[in-house]
Amino acid sequence: MNSISNKLGKSGAAASLFLLFVLCVFPVISQAGEESDAILKQARDALTIGKIDQAQSLFEQIPTPGPEGDDGEFVYSRMQLARISFSLKEAGKARSYAEEVVAVYPDNVEAKNFIVSLDRETRPEWRKVVDDCIRFLPSLLKGASMTLLLVFVTMIVSPVGGLFIALGRISQTQPFSGISWFIIWFFRGTPLLLQLFFIYYGLPAMGITLSPLAAALIGLGINYSAYLAEIIRAGILSIEDGQTEAAKALGMTYVQTMRRVIIPQTYKRIIPPFANEFIALIKDTALVSTIAMVELMRAADQMFNAYFNVTVLVFAAVIYLVFTTIFTFFFEKIEYKVGVYERR
Amino acid sequence: MNTILELKQVVKSFGKLTAVNHIDLKIDRGEKVVIVGPSGSGKSTLLRTMNFLETIDSGELLFEGSPCGYVYKDGNPVLDSQKKLCALRSEIGMVFQQFNLFPHMTVVQNVMEGQVTVLKKSKDEARETALQMLEKVGLSDRATVYPVTLSGGQKQRVAIARALAMKPKMMLFDEPTSALDPELVGEVFDTIRSLADEGMTMVIVTHNMGFAREVADTVIFMESGDFIAKGTPAEFFSAETQHPRIKEFMDKLL
Repeated sequence: MNSISNKLGKSGAAASLFLLFVLCVFPVISQAGEESDAILKQARDALTIGKIDQAQSLFEQIPTPGPEGDDGEFVYSRMQLARISFSLKEAGKARSYAEEVVAVYPDNVEAKNFIVSLDRETRPEWRKVVDDCIRFLPSLLKGASMTLLLVFVTMIVSPVGGLFIALGRISQTQPFSGISWFIIWFFRGTPLLLQLFFIYYGLPAMGITLSPLAAALIGLGINYSAYLAEIIRAGILSIEDGQTEAAKALGMTYVQTMRRVIIPQTYKRIIPPFANEFIALIKDTALVSTIAMVELMRAADQMFNAYFNVTVLVFAAVIYLVFTTIFTFFFEKIEYKVGVYERR
Repeated sequence: MNTILELKQVVKSFGKLTAVNHIDLKIDRGEKVVIVGPSGSGKSTLLRTMNFLETIDSGELLFEGSPCGYVYKDGNPVLDSQKKLCALRSEIGMVFQQFNLFPHMTVVQNVMEGQVTVLKKSKDEARETALQMLEKVGLSDRATVYPVTLSGGQKQRVAIARALAMKPKMMLFDEPTSALDPELVGEVFDTIRSLADEGMTMVIVTHNMGFAREVADTVIFMESGDFIAKGTPAEFFSAETQHPRIKEFMDKLL
């Protein structure tokens, strides 16, 4: 019982002390607040009618508050000053106003963000490029790796598909010849974009639902098979009949003749047009961005929309150019290699 | 049974042109048959029917006594299964006017190819045989080069080695020297001659009368798909027994 009355006594004392503090100090503060309000109002009016100098000096009059001072007017006035200085292209001055706020209130988010964005705006050009790199490259490279995946899988699948379509087209036997003709006719005759749409959005209506990656690979695979088929066919037809006859005369079957004699001789002739197609392929993969695939183009587009910064498009262009350049040299090397038997 | 290949009433036409007109021919083991005649007389076509590179329109072929290469539907010949044709062709070597070496393979690979792919020999065995055959045609030193580096005569000798490596029962030569510069003809004929001396059965289509006279057991003069004359070189080339058309042809050649 004794201890309880003791506690009550203590809190009672604290309450009366607080009451005393409020009664004595508040009138002073509120008086100061009224004064500041008047200044701020004048400053705002001055700003409205374009008297910037006057507004600045009025804002300056708001004093730095003591430990218990009211922060509202002070922070407001200094941030206004900082913004005015920044719009007058006085970055140093703007920074010092914001720093003034941070000095009194180290946790003020507005002032701190202001300093950060001020620094970003005023950093040197090379810093901007480096910062853009850090910001954009991870997503772009992730997109680029998807582009490479699409390119490589298509590069493996479509020559095989193309070979079978070409052999079907050359053969005199139905239905192979007819089917091959139809595939080439259809997939060369319609836009790749339309084919991708059909595979991704159209097939689900027929009960076949594909992931974006599967749809993209199927679309690119068939489309490029159709194009490569005609190149392979031209390559096969360009080999003299004598080669087939010599192979036959040795007792080779059709498959042996093709595999051992005819097709190896087409390599040198079909590699330049293949290189052409594969370089076109690198760029055509951009079309799969329309069926929810995040590859290089889509990644660039997303960031371009987010930051509205053209640099990201330049980066994407450079990555595409790097790929196509590597491919160009790679295919020149291969062309040299497979043609080695034709040099004396 | 000494006949290796027999043609019975073989006909082959291209549209209205009858290239081979009801030909009967028996080729004995070890016999050297040389077919001569003007261009377009059907001699190459006839030769090509012998390993089924040309499909006949009617008639029959017998290899070692049994009908081969065709099945008959309503009396018309239709090419037999690929498997049977390939087996037959592997026993009949052929040498072409344009050599038809495989340009993407080295010389020794050219000679190995049929052995490995068709006869299913191991690469080592095939290489050994190939080198023997190249030795035979005098080109073992060129084994590892590509055909593009060879002269025409060398190419044709490689082509002969390639055919021989299959250990064929007979050889067909389709104008083997016609694409060669005159100074290279000799080396190819020397190779063929030494093959003849070993007793190889061969059918040679050529324009070279001197070679025909020298190597042939039987010379055939062909024109417009028909045999105009057929006989030993002695009968064929002697002034008394010579067919007037052959005399005319030979005079033109000279």
